[in-house]
Amino acid sequence: MQSQTQTKTKVYTVAQVNSLVRDVLAANLPSWLTITGEITDWKAHQSGHCYFSLKDEESVLPCAMWRTSFAKVKFKPANGLAVLVTGSIDLYVPQGRYKLIVDEMIPAGMGALQLAFEQMVRKLEAEGLFDESHKKPLPRYPQRIGILTSESGAALHDIADSVHNRWPCTRLALYPVPVQGPGAAEAIAAAIADVNRRNDRLKLDVLIVGRGGGSLEDLWAFNEEVLARAIFASRIPIISAVGHEVDVTVADLVADARVSTPTKAGVVAVPDRGDVLTDLMNQQRRLTGSVRSRFGLCNEYLQTVLASAVFRNPLLPIQNREQCVDDLCGDLGDAMRQVFFQAHKQVQDSYEQVARLEPHRLLGRMMVELNELKGRSLAAVTQALNRRDLQITAQENRLAGLNPRSVLRRGYSITQNLRTGQVVRTAGDVQIDDPIVTELADEHRIESRVTGIDKG
Amino acid sequence: MAERKNKDEIAKLTFEQAIGQLREIVTRIEQGQIALQDSLDQYEKGMALIKHCRDILQKAEKRIEKISKEEPTEPPEEEDPEPLLRG
Repeated sequence: MQSQTQTKTKVYTVAQVNSLVRDVLAANLPSWLTITGEITDWKAHQSGHCYFSLKDEESVLPCAMWRTSFAKVKFKPANGLAVLVTGSIDLYVPQGRYKLIVDEMIPAGMGALQLAFEQMVRKLEAEGLFDESHKKPLPRYPQRIGILTSESGAALHDIADSVHNRWPCTRLALYPVPVQGPGAAEAIAAAIADVNRRNDRLKLDVLIVGRGGGSLEDLWAFNEEVLARAIFASRIPIISAVGHEVDVTVADLVADARVSTPTKAGVVAVPDRGDVLTDLMNQQRRLTGSVRSRFGLCNEYLQTVLASAVFRNPLLPIQNREQCVDDLCGDLGDAMRQVFFQAHKQVQDSYEQVARLEPHRLLGRMMVELNELKGRSLAAVTQALNRRDLQITAQENRLAGLNPRSVLRRGYSITQNLRTGQVVRTAGDVQIDDPIVTELADEHRIESRVTGIDKG
Repeated sequence: MAERKNKDEIAKLTFEQAIGQLREIVTRIEQGQIALQDSLDQYEKGMALIKHCRDILQKAEKRIEKISKEEPTEPPEEEDPEPLLRG
């Protein structure tokens, strides 16, 4: 198998194949091809070369345009742009891809104006002038509407009628401007700026800028940058009402709202009076209905309250309380009686206790006892006195026996040395010539003098 | 007196303000957010607002003023901000 393949076919390198295809293409294709198509995947490289594809409904052709060729192109190619290009097919060997190397490019199927329009759209779009976030909300019920259009054109009356037929209660103010020809865009732009500047007096809620249909040339003012920027800068919301069948204008894109013909301006600018009247009627019905039902409910509640016991017998609470007072009075009496009864009973009990003690008998017994004790104590005292008397007499007798003078009565005497004061008991107690005194039983005294001492 | 004042105030409202207030009143009453007595006052105000809105809607002037490009030397009146060219 392997050997078969080797024998059947020569082995090429990838580069060889790509080079081969390149040569075949170069040999067989016309050296210049003019191709119509739409630009897609447009990429302008930093190097100045441009890479893009041409496409139609069926196919896509990769293209490259070198810097030197691209420098000759007067318009700005962009995606979606239909162009007529001239160039030759070449195969880029490193990638094995073929490309159309574009030498010339001109816009196809459209005039310069159309191209300029497309390019203006792209430019302003990139700047964000068409962004929804910049669109100002339209007032729901405009009171004053400014119309910027030609005083002589049919558009003025188309706009006025379309507004008034739906919403007759608004005032329209015309700012006459040229809508065609050189300077028209500048004039409209100036009018928009002027109206904005004076709107504290003009008091316009919304502006309608427009004209009737016409050719691209006729409508051109509405594609110009100066007008687009004026519309974008307006603080008053702007409705673009330019008559056209298929395409839009730049003014349409930048305006806060747009209609495809002046006769439709009213649909966007104002509400329908009939609708609003119906809404008003509904509001009125809701208002009346809800207030009525609210009162109905309140009345029902009132009736319920009136039917309650309090309102049927207003005295009931008082009566209840009276009864309560009566009950309390009774309870109080009972309680007091109970207290008195208890106290009385206590007194009675105490009296009976006292009575049971029989104090008069107790006193009698005490008197008897006292008398007895009195007698006993008297007897005891007398006895004790008598005993003491006897004892004293005995002692007296004994004492009398001991009295020295009683000895004297038996014939004895007591001699006392006067000099010494001593009783003379022995012969040594006296000296010769000592005065002595002798006491006798009759208590008389004999005084003498010692004259001699016989010492036996 | 207060009623008179109310009426004057309502007459000054734009259609948008009037119908906005009316919707608020209807919602408040429907949701029972206000006392019964107030709901009566609000009901009367609501009816006055409806009348004011209807009056505005009945005014069908159908005329087009013209804005002059020159600044007016005198400030224009409230009712007619700019001189008219045609009615």
